[in-house]
Amino acid sequence: MGPSGGRRYVLLFFLLSGFGVILFRLVSLQVLQAAELTARADRQHQKSVTLEGVRGAVTDRHGKVLAMNVEVPSIFGVPTSLDSPANAAKSLSSVLHIRRDDIEKKLRQDKHFVWLARKVEPEKGRRLEQLSIDGIGMVMEGRRFYPKGPLLAHVLGFVGMDGVGLEGLERRYESQLHGEKRLTILQRDALGRTVFPKGLREQVPAAGHALTLTIDEVIQYIAEKELEEAVDHARAKSGTIIVMEPQSGAILAMAVSPRFDPNAVASLTADRWRNRALTDTYEPGSTMKVVVAAAALEERVMMPGSMLFGENGRMTVANTTIHDHEKLGWMTFAQMMQKSSNIGAAKTGILLGQQRLYRYLQAFGFGQRTDIDLPGEVVGLLKSPREWGRRSLASISMGQEIGVTPLQMVSAVSAIANDGVLMKPYVVSGVSDQKGQLVKEVLPQVRRRVVSPATARTLTTILEGVVASGTGTKAAIPGFRVAGKTGTAQKVDPRTGAYSSVLSVGSFVGFVPADAPRLAMIVVIDEPQGEAWGGVVAAPVFRRVGEQVLTYLGVPRDDQVKIAMAR
Amino acid sequence: MKAVAVVAAMCLVFAFVWERVDVVRLGYSIERLKTQKTLLERERDQLQVKVSALTAPERIARVATDKLGLFPPQQGQVFIIHPQPSVPLLATAPVEHLRIARTMPVLGGAK
Repeated sequence: MGPSGGRRYVLLFFLLSGFGVILFRLVSLQVLQAAELTARADRQHQKSVTLEGVRGAVTDRHGKVLAMNVEVPSIFGVPTSLDSPANAAKSLSSVLHIRRDDIEKKLRQDKHFVWLARKVEPEKGRRLEQLSIDGIGMVMEGRRFYPKGPLLAHVLGFVGMDGVGLEGLERRYESQLHGEKRLTILQRDALGRTVFPKGLREQVPAAGHALTLTIDEVIQYIAEKELEEAVDHARAKSGTIIVMEPQSGAILAMAVSPRFDPNAVASLTADRWRNRALTDTYEPGSTMKVVVAAAALEERVMMPGSMLFGENGRMTVANTTIHDHEKLGWMTFAQMMQKSSNIGAAKTGILLGQQRLYRYLQAFGFGQRTDIDLPGEVVGLLKSPREWGRRSLASISMGQEIGVTPLQMVSAVSAIANDGVLMKPYVVSGVSDQKGQLVKEVLPQVRRRVVSPATARTLTTILEGVVASGTGTKAAIPGFRVAGKTGTAQKVDPRTGAYSSVLSVGSFVGFVPADAPRLAMIVVIDEPQGEAWGGVVAAPVFRRVGEQVLTYLGVPRDDQVKIAMAR
Repeated sequence: MKAVAVVAAMCLVFAFVWERVDVVRLGYSIERLKTQKTLLERERDQLQVKVSALTAPERIARVATDKLGLFPPQQGQVFIIHPQPSVPLLATAPVEHLRIARTMPVLGGAK
């Protein structure tokens, strides 16, 4: 016998009520709260991470690594999870070499997360892992390493804590060097482990491009070593050497003293890392006579044998007196260059005239950027003839009233070594992707012809005379023909606004071998103490660097070539 | 016939479940290998930095002079038996550029 009608209805009521509650709950979960609950579930089993491709490396022309990224540990603490901040600080201090008090202070903060040390050496990370302290953890972060230390630091520049290039090539090529950044969502299981990185190959962001430089690390080392010694010896304020390949404009070395280590720039100021080779201007003094002579020869204002009178060392121009360092009488134009006569140069400039001299100064690249692929280059100072005073023509002809950078000067003299063709200087020869495929090749660029090949050859012979028997004898390299010019310029005393009798810049610019140039080089020594002549402080540096670099490059000496030819 | 269908259906279910489990297992395996690869790459990079630091010309010169008692060759002590430039010149400018430059009127001369 079945249940009575009343009991049946009661049962039905409870059943329907139960189903109704379930249905309501289903609608609530699946429809009304669907969006919110889906989002919560996603948060629990998905993990979003920003992946960043590795920053590209920088290598020299032979593939030697000059800068690269390595993942290193950064140490953090979770103060709320620590049992004893004092004990943790004691253990950490011995590993991280940070003061115990400083660590303890951080660990006693009322925070869930504190950085203790960012981007430390991998060895420190390994030791901390062994200690396994609760509440202390580490994450891996990319750190830029400059394995050669201070070598080429002024050209390479450096990156900040966030890995963005702040100076030098790191800054100039930031868009090529930095890796791709991409937000990626990974699935994770109940234990928080990443599960099945589906399509990960596609998710890995591309690494940054690598740079290959025209720099040769051995030549760079030779230049830096010799420059440091010269600056120390002369007790100078600073110094610069640029070594350039005249035919291409490729920079082989760019040394600046004092040096700095790009691995530790936190305590340094901009004055230390400024690339003086292209950011600092100086009055070149007699090295400017190379350009004046080139213009005079090209314009046939002068021939090597043209006679000039030295006025016995004193000449008045615009109510001011121009001096030579010795009393000179009659001399040829070539002798004027050998003896570096200011009066001879002033007379040559006056014969050229304002417009012609200005046109050649511009043609050789003064008063404009060389457009080298480095940041911070200045244009120098070249006033328009309208602004010239009565003495300007004479002053500029002997390297005063004009501001140049060492890079402008070495480029100009390179043009003489390159048969009169001015090249654009550059330091990056190629950009390649992470697979090593070349994505951009930088070819040498001709800027313009500045003088004829005949003029360049004539001037080369004159400049050889400067080194053979003129002011630049200390630049002579046995077994090689060297062409060059010394320069000594007084600096303006910032206190008086007049030329200082103490502060000066000594320089030498030239190329070698004169008959088939492989190197053009400038040496600038700023504010040397004691004897400040370019022929004394800079020319010997040119010789020492030139000699070592030519040997390194395997360029045969003249006598060796003769022996080989005789055989 | 019915029994065969039930067995086939069971097999399909088992195959599906086994495939899902295997996918997860392989996922963990891939993740493990990926971690291993990352660690090896990291070690490789660290070693590369170390090699680069150890081969720095400055360090080699210091070791040569301080530890081994060597010194740079003096003038006339270096003889190149087979004169050959070890570092070739970089690629020269495009030929057409050079040709233009060679025939270019000299600046200033024409004016």
